[in-house]
Amino acid sequence: MRKLAFVAGGGLIVVAAALMAWGSTSRAQQATGPAEPDSIAATRLAASDTADLLGPRQPIFFRHDLHAGQYKLQCQYCHYSVNVSNEPGIPSLQTCMGCHLVVGGSDKGNAAEIGKLRDAWNKQQPVEWVRVHFLAQHVHFPHSVHIKALGPNACATCHGDVNRMPQIHKVNNINNMGFCISCHIERKVTRDCSACHY
Amino acid sequence: MSDDGLNPTVDRRRFLTVLGVAGAGATALSGCGTKAKKLISYLVQSEDQVPGVPTYYASTCTECSAGCGLHVKTREGRAIKLEGNPEHPVNRGKLCARGQASLQGLYNPGRIKAPMVRDGGSWKEVKWDDAIARLVAAIQKGGAPLAVLSGAGRGTFSTLLADFTAVAGGTVTRWEPLDHVPMREANKLTFGRDELPAYDFASARYILSFGADFLDTWHSPTENQIGYAQSHGFHGDAARHVHVAPRRDLTGLNADEWLAAAPGTEAAIALAMANVVAGRRGGAGAYASLLSQWTPEAASKASGVPADAIRRVALEFAAQSPTLAVAGGIGSQHRGAVELCQAVNVLNAVAGNIGQTVRFGADLASGDGLAGVQQLMSAMTAGQVGILLVHEANPVYALPASMKFVDAMKKVPLKVSTATYLDETAAQCDLLLPNLHSLERWDDANPRAGVFGLMQPVMEPVFPVRHTGDVLLDAARKLGGAYSKFSAPDYKTHLRTAWNAHTASDAEWRAALARGGVYAAAPEAPALTPTGAAINAAAPAFDGDGDFVFLAYPHSFLHDGRGGNRPWLLENPDPVTKATWSPWIELSAATARRLDIRRGEVVRIISPHGEISGPAFPYAGLHDDVIAAPLGWGHTEYGQFAKDRGFNPLDLLGAPAAGSAFVPYASTRVRLEKTHSYQEVATTEGTPRQLGRGIAEAIPLVYARKGMTVREAMHAEGHEEHEVNTELEVKAILGWRERQVEGRKLGNYAEVHPSWGMTIDLSRCTGCSACVTACYAENNIPTVGEDQVLRGREMSWMRIERYWEGGEGEEPLEARFVPMLCQQCENAPCEPVCPVFAAYHTVDGLNGQVYNRCVGTRYCSNNCSYKVRYFNWYKYNLKAWPEPLDLQLNPDVTVRARGVMEKCTFCVQRIRSAQHNARLEGRELQDGEFTTACAQACPSDAIIFGNRRDPASKVAQSSEDPRAYRVLEELNTRPAITYLAKVLNQVEA
Repeated sequence: MRKLAFVAGGGLIVVAAALMAWGSTSRAQQATGPAEPDSIAATRLAASDTADLLGPRQPIFFRHDLHAGQYKLQCQYCHYSVNVSNEPGIPSLQTCMGCHLVVGGSDKGNAAEIGKLRDAWNKQQPVEWVRVHFLAQHVHFPHSVHIKALGPNACATCHGDVNRMPQIHKVNNINNMGFCISCHIERKVTRDCSACHY
Repeated sequence: MSDDGLNPTVDRRRFLTVLGVAGAGATALSGCGTKAKKLISYLVQSEDQVPGVPTYYASTCTECSAGCGLHVKTREGRAIKLEGNPEHPVNRGKLCARGQASLQGLYNPGRIKAPMVRDGGSWKEVKWDDAIARLVAAIQKGGAPLAVLSGAGRGTFSTLLADFTAVAGGTVTRWEPLDHVPMREANKLTFGRDELPAYDFASARYILSFGADFLDTWHSPTENQIGYAQSHGFHGDAARHVHVAPRRDLTGLNADEWLAAAPGTEAAIALAMANVVAGRRGGAGAYASLLSQWTPEAASKASGVPADAIRRVALEFAAQSPTLAVAGGIGSQHRGAVELCQAVNVLNAVAGNIGQTVRFGADLASGDGLAGVQQLMSAMTAGQVGILLVHEANPVYALPASMKFVDAMKKVPLKVSTATYLDETAAQCDLLLPNLHSLERWDDANPRAGVFGLMQPVMEPVFPVRHTGDVLLDAARKLGGAYSKFSAPDYKTHLRTAWNAHTASDAEWRAALARGGVYAAAPEAPALTPTGAAINAAAPAFDGDGDFVFLAYPHSFLHDGRGGNRPWLLENPDPVTKATWSPWIELSAATARRLDIRRGEVVRIISPHGEISGPAFPYAGLHDDVIAAPLGWGHTEYGQFAKDRGFNPLDLLGAPAAGSAFVPYASTRVRLEKTHSYQEVATTEGTPRQLGRGIAEAIPLVYARKGMTVREAMHAEGHEEHEVNTELEVKAILGWRERQVEGRKLGNYAEVHPSWGMTIDLSRCTGCSACVTACYAENNIPTVGEDQVLRGREMSWMRIERYWEGGEGEEPLEARFVPMLCQQCENAPCEPVCPVFAAYHTVDGLNGQVYNRCVGTRYCSNNCSYKVRYFNWYKYNLKAWPEPLDLQLNPDVTVRARGVMEKCTFCVQRIRSAQHNARLEGRELQDGEFTTACAQACPSDAIIFGNRRDPASKVAQSSEDPRAYRVLEELNTRPAITYLAKVLNQVEA
């Protein structure tokens, strides 16, 4: 199993929020500078640079590598229902605006993307994200039970090192049942068909 | 269960309907190829919606006047299932098939999608402001006043409507086609109480029904069924039930004995019984002289029922206390219906039931009767009505055509309808102001004294239509003047203000919303004495001189026709005939033999007023002089599912005399003509008889009381053991068992798991088929249509089998109902024959069916001993749910595509969900924490589901009952479903 690339901590959200608030000030350059060796260099990727990136282009160039990687936001901050529901949940625009009402982007590229978000909020128009991870409709994957069993940072097990991805792309073929089963064999948990297929 | 959406400025639900999170997989398509390509975020996260987790709202059912409480299950902002509200005093957590199908009314493609005005021969869509302005202009114009025809619903809205109409100088006529007017009239005469009582079936120890279909279509069916199961179901003893009527409806088939009274003679029998009871117990009071005329012999002469049967039943009735006699159903609504109800009132009075099982003071909601409609029609014809507003009523369809309501409508300058669906009446109107469905709007209902049920919008409206309450308030604002007393900004505020009477504080209001309303304890039932008003028990008159009396009775599911646009109800087989999708014409088995008519032969039925034709259905539970047909069919509008489906039996009826309180549904004689053509009846009935297979076992009450098993009772009756397994078979069976033990040691199977099982008590099951609709709703089962049902391709994972016993010669006809679903066999014949392991045994004792593995060989179905596997022959998933019906689909269950075998797996999605929840909370699953959809819906509580391996569970304990048996046990399939034999309450010799 992959090692998890980021550390959990209750206070991190606060820290991250503070960092972002700081980033919006004139000292933005320092704030977005390499905070630690893990974070990638290309913090100033703009939407126009996404051609080489894996995964589909999203309506807003949302950077998981910045949010989850550099600022160490917990996945659950946005994917709020992952530990209570089958569905992980995607953040409401209000959640985004909680920070981005203040955080305006450290450079032109980022500011342009955040501008799109603010625009959508002002127009009260939800963002239509392009879906990356599909599960066939005859499979039922309860996120909550897996988080309960594997801990809050288990996301990377299936979704890969999201905190290093400027643009989300598929790392594992989650629709390949072998991918599920290998883990279930390793952990000696159920292999009953009707656990997932019904 | 809380939301009240108090702040209208935050429009929480708007985006719920477009929420496209990963769980929105239940589009009408399935398989890997179709993907929701977008993830659309909320703007503002709703507090009470978590994607993937259902949210329940309490509401009130409006499908009939009983006013049952609902729990509406919503997922991602749309209602996906209706369940009973356990806190509600009427239905106590249970819900009938019609109530559940209310969802298909919500998502019905036949809904009117916007306000419209008539533009020549077609409809033109207009803006709401424009539409209301037209109504306002017509009211302002003055001249002939406004008249309103509305349903009999009682609540804040009906008061608002009446007040508004009064200001406009008009009147409201409240009318319900299948209302209980004869009962009310009779209660007024006998007891001086113009109301409908509640009945306590649970404490009755002997039940007599005079044409009243109390389990299915009459009074408060779910409540009655809950009580009936407690008394008539076996509980160490069982109440006896005798049905007196020309036809055995579902209630009649559940009765232990049927007295086939000639139509119109039930009152004579009731009086003769009262006579015998009074002779035994005294108490004839003011009716002593009347009763003395009605000896059993006199009643026998009138009705054709043997005098000693009448006397015997009456003596049995007199020997028990408390007892209950009920009358007033549509099946006995002839011109003497009031007299029949009066006679039964007397019978109840002499038996001492008034105040015991007949509970006045409950004051069930009821309309104004037909006389009000007749007055309205004459005013319309005389040009005294300027605007006709029709609300929740469909008189053009539900009144006999001979009353010519359409002609009266033509004399009204402006006809306005608030119909949710384009029904026959709306089609004749000039202005359509479509109302919201009851699941989309704020409203309340007062079905009986002390019970106030609330409705709240559980989702955004499917179509941009408007609450009629808001339309009235908006119109009042525009009209000003005297109308300004309707000052609420919207109907919700109006409702909240009106509810200050019940819930003074906001906290109380929220509590009421969460509970579904406020429920006072049932009022004390007074013991009333009959006034002695005269009863004319002479047989009523019938029009014409045909050979047969025609009897129109309400269809179990279509009711007065309002269920006709819901595929679940059309495909749910009629409990008596098992026919689907089209109506039929019943004639007695003897008549059919005499006239040489077979099932499906198209016959023409001619009355002095009209004629109908349809396929014949010989039925042994019908009086020889009667021809019967179900109401609710033959719509000429009402959407794609209802339109042009068979005939409307009302066409045979004459216009009731002026001043009639009700439509006498059995009032005409008819003759029958053969047409020599043929139309197959789409029944789901297989073999009508058991042929010794022991599927629906029964045990006489005397033996059940002694705690005997079915086999012991058979031996006691002198039957011999037959079909003993041969030595070879025994060897094979033992070998099988050994191999099963081996198998249990492998892999996952070696661990301890629950073993899911079910017990079905046939002494409680009435065959009502609520479980069937619950299964369709929960498991995304497609309806296949008449053509496919005729080919035996219906997909009902759960079906009610109905077997006939006796009925030949002197032997009385008996019906046995068996809910049949996958038996989850331990030695399942289906499993070893599947070449791809799609059918397999799960570790927790289910016959799993992995749809994505299935390649459709159908070997499993061929090898299934119970015929409970259903093959998806065509792309039913693309046809069964035309938009927006697909919004109802349960996202937790795969929608199966063509070529897949499907079946019941004990609602495995509910099992998994409960297991996940228990695991998240770090605890063990509790018995009774969840149940299957069928068990949850069953008003009789005939179905118990749980873990058989837990000795404390209800299912494990009930399977130890002496009446327990397993269907086709001799095949060594070892089913996980235990049936408890029906108890026969026979005449004790």
